[in-house]
Amino acid sequence: MSDDGGLWLLLLGPTGAGALYWALYRYYRNTDKSHAFERETTVEARPVTGSDVKVDRIEGTRQSRIRGENTSAWRARVRRVEPPPDQQLAGREAGDG
Amino acid sequence: MANTQSPPRPVPPQGPGSPQDVPPEPGSFPLDPATLPPPIRDEVLAPDPEAIDTASEELKDGANRCPKCGATEIRQKPGTDELICLYCRNEWTARRVEEEFGLGEGLDELRGTVIASGARDIAADARDLMSFQCGGCGAEVTINTANAMTARCHWCRHVLGVNEQVANGAVPDAVLPFHIRKDDAVARIRQFVDKRRLFALKEFKDQFTPENVIGVYLPYMVVDANASAGVAGQGEIETRRYTRGSGNDKKTYYDADIYQVERALAFTVDDLPLESSRERGRLDTRVNTNNIINTILPFDTKNAVRWNASYLAGFSSEKRDADVEALRPRLEDQLLSIARAKVTDSVRRYDRGVRWEQEWLDVRGTRWVAMYLPVWLYSYHQPGRNGGLLHYIAVNGRTGETMGSVPVQQWKLLTAALTVGTFLEGIALWILAGTS
Repeated sequence: MSDDGGLWLLLLGPTGAGALYWALYRYYRNTDKSHAFERETTVEARPVTGSDVKVDRIEGTRQSRIRGENTSAWRARVRRVEPPPDQQLAGREAGDG
Repeated sequence: MANTQSPPRPVPPQGPGSPQDVPPEPGSFPLDPATLPPPIRDEVLAPDPEAIDTASEELKDGANRCPKCGATEIRQKPGTDELICLYCRNEWTARRVEEEFGLGEGLDELRGTVIASGARDIAADARDLMSFQCGGCGAEVTINTANAMTARCHWCRHVLGVNEQVANGAVPDAVLPFHIRKDDAVARIRQFVDKRRLFALKEFKDQFTPENVIGVYLPYMVVDANASAGVAGQGEIETRRYTRGSGNDKKTYYDADIYQVERALAFTVDDLPLESSRERGRLDTRVNTNNIINTILPFDTKNAVRWNASYLAGFSSEKRDADVEALRPRLEDQLLSIARAKVTDSVRRYDRGVRWEQEWLDVRGTRWVAMYLPVWLYSYHQPGRNGGLLHYIAVNGRTGETMGSVPVQQWKLLTAALTVGTFLEGIALWILAGTS
């Protein structure tokens, strides 16, 4: 085993202690809970429309994910803009190749 | 309603727990319980109090039970609008607002802001004046509460007590009667706390008396909305993955295509509940545990009945103090969250993920109905800085969903965490010693 790998192993104790503290604290205090309105409310939606336009490419990045990914952080607001005039995005059914 | 001019930007509710965090799945635990020491594992794996899914058939049938005995043998009393329980002869008015106001219909055609009478703005000069609805004959009796707290109905001589008081301008349109009885609520709270005893504050455990739970009608706005929303951002699809270097210097590199991604959808939302008490609506887990009461939402609001003060007999209630416009930013925030959650499935092909940068919302129509919803509340005040912290354990008075905040004995939890950490560190050192 390399020296580098050995040093990483030393983090096992502090990480385990921290994770257990954090998990049990939340289990008792439930500070992470709130109304899951996204899945517990009756929502009827028409099919999602949209467009996908290739604009650029990157080569040789070391990041395995896009920077600032927020697909599942849907409660965190991003910049709010005015609705487009027609509100109908020209385009195909979303997700098409 | 089209946003033709620049509307004021909503201020989203801030703070951890409220909020901007998507809550985990019910019953999930961030660590694998199998890896935990047995006493902790047993607590975590103990069964949760059972809750009825509001989408379940049991509540969908619209069975409104007799508020007195719980029986469903209910018939219309001939010649009147009153209902009578054939089991205990209890009589009351119980018409579902859903049918009466046509609340579940025409969500697609909803335009503008439709406000039910009970959800209208609270008149600033009418706070002291309260109107009492006589439980005996239904007459409205107005009284200035600045100098009197009881009144006798001038029609039927029925005495109106504080349990039947309703505030002017804050009388809701509908009330959802309690379905879970007190002994049931006590059992659920006990079960909830029994799962969290090992590291609970000693004083909390010593003083734990779930029989002190109180039934409270809390004020909510139940909102239907017709909206469309859209998002725009960038997504990346991996085209190539390769490694360079060798040995310890081996590094992985990626090539990817970048796309400009836009999504839009039109949707309707049925019966979204929002706290219409400013204090209850302030979710901030650093200073309160209101997120606990927020978590036991939703209710089967379809079964709410037209407002009748007699439902409040024996229960306490809180008054609404927020108007529709004050709640609109919160509604818009939640509508945007719903839209963002709904478009997630349509961007799965971006295997390196999507970064949303812009979003828009066009609310075409909303319908606001004020309701009193039933909650069993148990509270414990933990002394501390800035007045301490009030911990709630709440039981949904209809579905039985239970959530709570149990104060933690910090030294015990720290000791447990450090013990486990030391044990793991010991294993790490043992492995290192074995390999060197």
